[in-house]
Amino acid sequence: MAALGSAGRAAALLLLRRWRGGERLLPSPGLGPGPRRHRHRHRHKEKWAATAPRIPATRLALHHFDTSYSLQLKDLWPSVRAGLLCEQKYGALLNNFSPVSHVTQELELLNATDFVSEAPKKVQQLQCGAAAGEAGRGEGRSQEGSGEGRTVMQAETMTQAEMSPVLRASISPNIKCYTFPRGDITRFRPARPDTLGLLDYYLMDAASLLPVLALNVQPDDFVLDLCAAPGGKTLALLQTGVCGHLAANDISISRTKRLYQILHSYVPKEIRETVSVTSCDGRDWGQVEGGTFHKVLVDVPCTTDRHSVMEEDNNIFHRRRTKERQMLPMLQLQLLMAGILATKPGGEVVYSTCSLSPLQNEYVIERAVEIAETQFNINIHVEDLSHFRTLFQDTFSFFSDCRLGELVLPHLTANFGPMYFCKLRRM
Amino acid sequence: MAGRLLRGCGEAAALRAMGFSEEQARRLLGLQPRLGPQRREAAAAQLLLLGLSAEAALGLLERSPGLLRMPTERLQERAGDLRRLGLGGGQLQRAVSRCPQLFTLPRRRMAAAVRLLREQCLFTAEQLREVLATCPAVLLEEPRRLHHHFQYAYFRMGVQQKEMVKARLFQMPFAELRNRHIFLERRGLYQTPHKGQTQTCNPKLKDILQLPEEDFLTSLASSTREEYEVFKKLLAREEEEEEDRDALYAEEDEDLDSEESKTAWE
Repeated sequence: MAALGSAGRAAALLLLRRWRGGERLLPSPGLGPGPRRHRHRHRHKEKWAATAPRIPATRLALHHFDTSYSLQLKDLWPSVRAGLLCEQKYGALLNNFSPVSHVTQELELLNATDFVSEAPKKVQQLQCGAAAGEAGRGEGRSQEGSGEGRTVMQAETMTQAEMSPVLRASISPNIKCYTFPRGDITRFRPARPDTLGLLDYYLMDAASLLPVLALNVQPDDFVLDLCAAPGGKTLALLQTGVCGHLAANDISISRTKRLYQILHSYVPKEIRETVSVTSCDGRDWGQVEGGTFHKVLVDVPCTTDRHSVMEEDNNIFHRRRTKERQMLPMLQLQLLMAGILATKPGGEVVYSTCSLSPLQNEYVIERAVEIAETQFNINIHVEDLSHFRTLFQDTFSFFSDCRLGELVLPHLTANFGPMYFCKLRRM
Repeated sequence: MAGRLLRGCGEAAALRAMGFSEEQARRLLGLQPRLGPQRREAAAAQLLLLGLSAEAALGLLERSPGLLRMPTERLQERAGDLRRLGLGGGQLQRAVSRCPQLFTLPRRRMAAAVRLLREQCLFTAEQLREVLATCPAVLLEEPRRLHHHFQYAYFRMGVQQKEMVKARLFQMPFAELRNRHIFLERRGLYQTPHKGQTQTCNPKLKDILQLPEEDFLTSLASSTREEYEVFKKLLAREEEEEEDRDALYAEEDEDLDSEESKTAWE
């Protein structure tokens, strides 16, 4: 960075911003649960025999996805498509700022479990089972002379060094999110306020937590959430309880209002004061506060695939938004670059989208790594998240063929996502 | 007491003469015991005349003892109606054996179903005949639901009458058809044809309806049972909520209208 000099750096940023186009960021999927809540108000009941006056944006989106995703996902596409077109599954992010014990009891009675804490237990069981099996067969391991070898109990007290990489996968602490088991379509009741007026949980796509978990926030980290609105992931970051300081930014003032509402509904005053909410263009961030943050989350605007095939309102596949949609990868790249520039050396960035498109996912990562190297002399290491994936593979349906990063696929038995995320370390 | 015994013997003998075994006669006498012997014999005779075997006739009467109370003219008349619709000989036997209610169905209901199938669904007489032979229960269906079932296949699935008949559309309950169709549709494997489009690469209705569920899942839907089970639950819930919403908005519309025309729905 220093090698370029401030003039060079400004020029490089200017180059990036050459294609700066429309201002509007895309809406993320709505706050509340329940399918099709808004649609029916303006819905006209489509008669089967009549032709609709124009092709709905949802149909255009679906056609677009049929063409591109069938090539990418091949045999998996029919299942993913059906998942996108059916009611999505939610998780309940517990509000640690509200007394939780009665809520966890209530949820456990309904057979829901906290997937975050369950995951390592399941993996450990599998591995202990395997270890005990091996020892029992006495496969040439030298034990202390007791012919039996390791019992299951002894296997459980494996030292840190022996623990599998999967269990060592470091994730942001204190996040608890309840989900119903695979195949269980029970809905959560709406969130309820406690005696202090704070809501007990926040309903969201559980897959949205994965980028936050992958960020692995450590105590006193300065954290930047570059495209924070409407605020689900921001709230999750605050639930870790360890952010030294959290900067939550979003370009859209109306969506930032939602963010404020969420903070007010879930977070007590003294914690809210540690959050600075801004309404800037995220692309400016690198220039304004370069190299300030330990952890940066760049949850970019995207084609919001699930929303685009289900909701007509605010749909980026409307003809009049074609240019905006085509400019998305450029916008996403600019935002990621800004996020990288805002990271301290040694810090980490997680990039995420809720789209299946490689053009918005891997391609953006590849271009960013290249530009960081060639134009800013910043060396980026793309982190391997395969252990992270293994840890959560019981809850989510992951795509196994991602070149870079990880992709959660919608599937009827686990109808979360789409969610793409990739972790970068600034060297 | 002796008189009753004597009567019993007399009845049994008459039934034996018609072709029922001793055991069968006994069973027959056990149905609706207070019924007069002529009624019993006449009803049994009618069924035998239709060509049913003694055992089949007996079985039918055991399942629907109400038939014994029907005047034989009615039984005859109904058999005639069904023959006129094209159910002859063995088809008629099979139809009434499977659906005894074909006899007890009120005339008006049956006529309404037939009218619907011919005039609204536009099945030819020949097609109607085949539908009745393969799915006689069609006549028992409430006409509105029958129409809905037909329209779904015609408009929503783009299937013509000829294919509906070949595929035995009405043999499968509507809910199951809808499950299979929408499952395929959401997976991208079935498309409602556009106006005027004659050729599609949709799977044949025959296959969709007649494959057992396992085969449907593996060869048509390329899916797992687990997925299909979850899908059915989700779809059922969607249906339920759709109906609730429609009902709610219907009420709202009524409120809006009430100012103008109170008498409309009174």
